[in-house]
Amino acid sequence: MSEVRGKVLKHGEQTRTMHWVHLVAFIILALTGIGFYFNIGFINNMFGGGANASMVHRWAGVVFVVGPALYILLNFERFARFVDTITTITKDDIGWLKTMGGYIPFLKGEVPPQDKYNAGQKMLGLIIIIGCLLLILTGFPMWLWRAVVPPAFLAFCYSVHFWVAAILILAVCGHFFLAAIHPKSRVEFASMMIDGYIDAEISAHHNEKWFNTLEEVKE
Amino acid sequence: MSIFREKGTFTRRQFFKGSGMLAATIVISGVFAKFGYDAWAASDAYIEKRISGLYTLDEKMAIRKSHQNPEILQIYKDFLSPGEVKPVSEKAHHLLHTKYGQDIPELIKELHAHQHDAA
Amino acid sequence: MEEGNGLSTATLANTGIIQVTKKCKSCDHCTSICPTGAIHGKLGQKHHIDPKLCINCGQCLINCPFGAITDTSMVKEVKKALADPSKYVVVQEAPAVRVALGEEFGMDPGTNVKGKMYASLRKLGFDKVYDTEFAADLTIMEEGTELIHRVFKAVGAPGYESSGPLPQFTSCCPAWIKYAEDHYPAILPNLSSAKSPQQMFGAVAKTYVAEKLGVKPADMVSVSVMPCTAKKYECNRPEMIASGYQDVDYVITTRELADMIKEKGIDFNSLPNEEADRLVGASTGAATIFGVTGGVMEAALRTAYELLSGQSLGKVEFKSVRGQKPIREATVEIPIKDLGTTLPVKVCVVTGTKYVGRVIEDVLAGRSSYHFIEVMNCPGGCINGGGQPIRRDMY
Repeated sequence: MSEVRGKVLKHGEQTRTMHWVHLVAFIILALTGIGFYFNIGFINNMFGGGANASMVHRWAGVVFVVGPALYILLNFERFARFVDTITTITKDDIGWLKTMGGYIPFLKGEVPPQDKYNAGQKMLGLIIIIGCLLLILTGFPMWLWRAVVPPAFLAFCYSVHFWVAAILILAVCGHFFLAAIHPKSRVEFASMMIDGYIDAEISAHHNEKWFNTLEEVKE
Repeated sequence: MSIFREKGTFTRRQFFKGSGMLAATIVISGVFAKFGYDAWAASDAYIEKRISGLYTLDEKMAIRKSHQNPEILQIYKDFLSPGEVKPVSEKAHHLLHTKYGQDIPELIKELHAHQHDAA
Repeated sequence: MEEGNGLSTATLANTGIIQVTKKCKSCDHCTSICPTGAIHGKLGQKHHIDPKLCINCGQCLINCPFGAITDTSMVKEVKKALADPSKYVVVQEAPAVRVALGEEFGMDPGTNVKGKMYASLRKLGFDKVYDTEFAADLTIMEEGTELIHRVFKAVGAPGYESSGPLPQFTSCCPAWIKYAEDHYPAILPNLSSAKSPQQMFGAVAKTYVAEKLGVKPADMVSVSVMPCTAKKYECNRPEMIASGYQDVDYVITTRELADMIKEKGIDFNSLPNEEADRLVGASTGAATIFGVTGGVMEAALRTAYELLSGQSLGKVEFKSVRGQKPIREATVEIPIKDLGTTLPVKVCVVTGTKYVGRVIEDVLAGRSSYHFIEVMNCPGGCINGGGQPIRRDMY
């Protein structure tokens, strides 16, 4: 690969804002949710007791829904491209999954060139979209129609909400580890969390297929 | 220093996939709502079934009126109002009737007194 | 007095029959079910029940999504009595039990397992298997006669001056009784003074039955199988000692009976159909429908009509009082032989204590023209009581 110099704009301003909003809401939701589901006193007390924690959980839930919804409405094109990327699974993605992107020491092998998101990130994207939808669908009956819905359905909502949340929390923990801690991949951290840019050489290496479609703008 | 950006192209394929995802969201919501509605509709169907179970049982009974129950007639004649069928007799009043609320302490006293008389 | 059964009245008053356990997930569904607002706690907060306000109906228990609400159990005491050869254990079963017990053994709701129920109770070791339906017939005789007396007093017939006021409310439902005592003490004179069938049976068992069987009442243990948790409270009320002993010693629910049958390893589905023991075991269709809302009313009308008119009733069904609407009303023309007139008897059926407030307010304000009002706490009647098998049908 030829040497490239410069930087790549990976995530726009609105995308980064949405990511931040969703992230903060998610952390609050996860904390309060764990707090009152398992009745952990000190977490509940952080939010002023179970009843208040639940109130915070519900309104954080509204932010969790409205944030991405607004983003999709305002940036449908961006969203459509994202969906296109994460739902396009090619041989290269299978190859990535087989070697786990080279992140696991004993899985040796050539990592195929990747899109804007590698196969792992694609999986995470799908998990988050489906998971959020399930959380929203089960969450609102538990809040708004708790008096009306039959107990069997309420219990179903609670268990779906619980297990989906558990999976999402684990997935997001993994995502955090790779994006912020792992030395090989934390180089991407700034592109989502700070200014949106990533070093061109790294991008050309990690997201070769995507990088090749970019246009160069001279400063 | 050069800066790289995505090209502004927006393909038909991307548009359909984005819309498709939104449509799928709506469909999943609909399925979930239908599931919830069915659960709601089914949740108390058992009440109606148990009710009709009792009404069917009533229809199958040989005797369907309380005052024709032979053992009822017997207990009045033998015990509650000896020799006749007379509800609210003195004994029936003592055994089968009660009082409520603030009259209860007085009733309990009466019952205890009655036991002393009997003893 | 008997030395007590381990569940003293004072304890029950402090703890109540219904408790929320640690499994509570704070979902707040139960507060919408509770007819008296006895359940405290907001969404996200562990809930607890105020025993002073709780009427022990157990609707929260059967509607809890997490099975986190329990009722005080007397099963241990019942087993002890069954194992004690010096005790003579008699049992009664409420009408609603026989159409729901089968559900615990895989049958459809509403399947009539009356015969198998008697057989299983004998297998469990009860000395005599009687039937609450007998006492339900007795209730109709007493409560119906009381109603007739109240009507005669209202129309000015001589000799009935000591009767109570109209309308007469039914008194079969212990949850409703406690609700009236707690919230509307002014309505208590309108309640029928007749005991509930369970307590009538208890009083009769330790007097009449003990005498006929030659059993010492002190050795007799009276158990009842009820679709109801409030009955556990009722049998422990301090005034329920008319026989000289606690009239009904222990109450177990339909669920608890099913558990006992399973624990004993009895193959319920292959049991033969048996009959109840004679003496106080015969029942009628009128008693059977006590288990459904409007049933007490219909049974009372069947008897009152025939006793008042002296005519035989051709069609015994009073369909106008049936249904599941929370408040239903009907007018039945009854010719009264003694007075030579026809009286339009106005009746009202309430299912769900939530809805009874309006009816009571009308009565207290003198706006009500009803003669007889049936109140059952549980939606649909006893068949949907707090002691019944818990159903979680999703489709």
